[in-house]
Amino acid sequence: MLFVEFRFFWFFLAVFAVYWSLRKNDSRKIWLLICSYIFYAAWNWKFLFLLMASSVLDYVVGMMMTRSKTRGARRAWLLVSLCGNLGTLAFFKYFNFFISSGAGLLEWLGLPASVHTLNIILPVGVSFYTFHSMSYTIDVYRGKMRAVSSLLDVACFIGFFPQMVAGPIVRASLFLPQLRSLRKFSEVDVRSALVLFLTGFIKKACVADAVAPFVDRYFAAPENFTAASAWVGVLFYAIQVYCDFSGYTDMAIACARLLGYELPVNFRFPYFARNISDLWKRWHISLSSWLRDYLYIPLGGNRGPRWFMYRNIMITMLLGGLWHGAAWTFLIWGGLHGVALVVHREWLWRTEQRPGAQSIMRWLAWPLTIYWFCLALLVFRSVDLPRAVPALRSFILFQSSGTEDLGAWMLWLVPVLAIVHWLNSIGWFSQWWRRGPAPLFAAGYGCAAAMVLLFVPPHYTPFIYFQF
Amino acid sequence: MTKSFINRFLCAAVALAALVGTSALLHALFPPTIPGGVAAKLKFFTEHKDEFDTLFVGTSCIYYSVSPENFDRTTREAGLPTHSFNFGIDAMHPPENFYVLEQILKTKPRNLKWVFLETANIETKLHQVLGTERAVYWHDWPRTKLAVQKALNPRGDAKWYIRISRLWVARRALASHLTLFLQRFASIGRVDFLSSRNHEGIDAADLELGPKRDGYRLAGDAMSAENAALFQKRLAREIAEARPKPLDPYADEAYRNFGKRIRAIGAAPLLVVPPLIFQSPVIFRHSPPPGPLLSFNDAGKYPTLFDSKVRIDDAHLTNEGAQEFTRLLAQEFLRRARQP
Repeated sequence: MLFVEFRFFWFFLAVFAVYWSLRKNDSRKIWLLICSYIFYAAWNWKFLFLLMASSVLDYVVGMMMTRSKTRGARRAWLLVSLCGNLGTLAFFKYFNFFISSGAGLLEWLGLPASVHTLNIILPVGVSFYTFHSMSYTIDVYRGKMRAVSSLLDVACFIGFFPQMVAGPIVRASLFLPQLRSLRKFSEVDVRSALVLFLTGFIKKACVADAVAPFVDRYFAAPENFTAASAWVGVLFYAIQVYCDFSGYTDMAIACARLLGYELPVNFRFPYFARNISDLWKRWHISLSSWLRDYLYIPLGGNRGPRWFMYRNIMITMLLGGLWHGAAWTFLIWGGLHGVALVVHREWLWRTEQRPGAQSIMRWLAWPLTIYWFCLALLVFRSVDLPRAVPALRSFILFQSSGTEDLGAWMLWLVPVLAIVHWLNSIGWFSQWWRRGPAPLFAAGYGCAAAMVLLFVPPHYTPFIYFQF
Repeated sequence: MTKSFINRFLCAAVALAALVGTSALLHALFPPTIPGGVAAKLKFFTEHKDEFDTLFVGTSCIYYSVSPENFDRTTREAGLPTHSFNFGIDAMHPPENFYVLEQILKTKPRNLKWVFLETANIETKLHQVLGTERAVYWHDWPRTKLAVQKALNPRGDAKWYIRISRLWVARRALASHLTLFLQRFASIGRVDFLSSRNHEGIDAADLELGPKRDGYRLAGDAMSAENAALFQKRLAREIAEARPKPLDPYADEAYRNFGKRIRAIGAAPLLVVPPLIFQSPVIFRHSPPPGPLLSFNDAGKYPTLFDSKVRIDDAHLTNEGAQEFTRLLAQEFLRRARQP
């Protein structure tokens, strides 16, 4: 069930109506949990048990950590949680990748091996909900929060349908306190939630899904296309991935807000980032901050010698890439970002005393950042490494033997969207809809929604991040 | 009820009214996109509407089985010349065929004399392979109503509590048809600002009209020997189990309604049951039927059409079979046309 489908509209209407008609907090949470599980089961009911098992495991681990008297016992329980969650991820996401990569390596070494990969279906949202649950047990272990005594709360936190399948990756310390108190409808900012939902809907359904066919066409056979088409394909993918994912996040935040819960912001105009470090503070913020807090800092963070910090950055970014999926393309994507972050840090360190170099870089930083980001995206989107090579050649060297043209005229979309994006970043759209009486807002919203539907492609494209 | 609740309810009603009102306006401004194949035939027919006096409307069973060239030759030789066009479309089952027929009749063809309509029950199952656009365009309210009624009450005689219980049984069909109706009404995807869908349509247009641009296209090769044996077995079973089957009440009523509308423009409807493997005679629920019923799903009467050498599968004929069916159809037509 996608947020942009009609059936989600009816589903959410039922969730919303029943939720606010219930008086007790526990009843509401039970209702939310039932609805979340229905939402998940709409994709594949069999994997519901995995989600439930993950919730029960982390609830039990949390409780046992509270009861444990020694640090060793707490650490052992944390290990149980990490093994359970990472084991799930490893099995469903990486098993075949490691088996086939290992076989490839053995073959390369002249030791051909007979291997069997399994026909494993990736449970939707597994990367997201395992990270949700791990944040809970790690925070309890670190003493940042107390273990929750209610299984219902833990299950609601992990399974909360707006954020379950594609984020944002919510911290237990942010969400669990919200579950404890009864939400009041009078405190819900309905207008902002509705506007945010419509914004997310426009991004996903009108923009991302409109450019998706061109991106799919290009990346299916990049060698057949001209160099100009490579730029169209890559720039369109940059548009698609941002609008798809941030659109999903906007809709998720809006749905949660309509039910009285606040989820963290996940994107902050990343394409206006001044450098690669800044970009990672604006892009998929919930993942980057998760990786920072639960991986980069425990690895040593910025402490120690410079090379130590660079090593930590590379490990974090490579694992961040691998988090997206079991493929070399994702790993290289992570590596490219790691390299860019290291180079940026090194540049800052070396030019600290040279204001001239820094002022030149101020002008070059943005195009360089976007160019590198697009380059990494190209590898990220490529079906496999052999097909990434002709695309890279076209994109970097403007060399291609292909003759098919994707239509460079369509690039008009890029400046138009950039202007809209910029207007949004300066807050042009942020407040005016708050003015005026509620019926006027309602009428305007109805008209706007009808006009938006006009631009929605008739077929739905699944969210890109569902596959992760 | 508190005042704030009433206010919120009113706001929701205002938003809904604005949504519906704007959608209705946009729906009027941007008519539904008719998908490539159907659009190609409709456009061609509109441009040449006064040239044709005979039309065949139906599914692929008509599309690949009735050659207008052959039909016109047979009628010409018999002294009743016609100029026909094949408006068969892949998987255009009722109620989609009624929508297309309505669009054809809206063009007001002045010289149309005969309209051959493939006769079948209302189909509630949607063919996913045809794509969303093909499913959306015909879901106006009259057609959606036919599909919903059929899904809820297939034989038309169910008591109210049975109909309620069918809400669950037929939930998928109901949800699909109602969603498609909403998609059509809300003009979803009516503006394609990157023209990503048009390229496919242009290629489809020429293909759809066929090499002679009379709407007829050659079908494939005859079935394999292995499939032929299975076909004969199935056919024998169908013959043994054949018994008259009345059309569902919704199809029955719709054919009668369109029969009247065809007569209103000065043409005559002829109802055709193509040579399908299903041998049960199709009958209308009340006599007389809305037009002469030409049934070819009778292996006893038309053995040449059920020879596995001229069949692709249970529903479709090879080119040789199509020529034979067209000849038999033309003869049957001539026989009926000459009757006082």
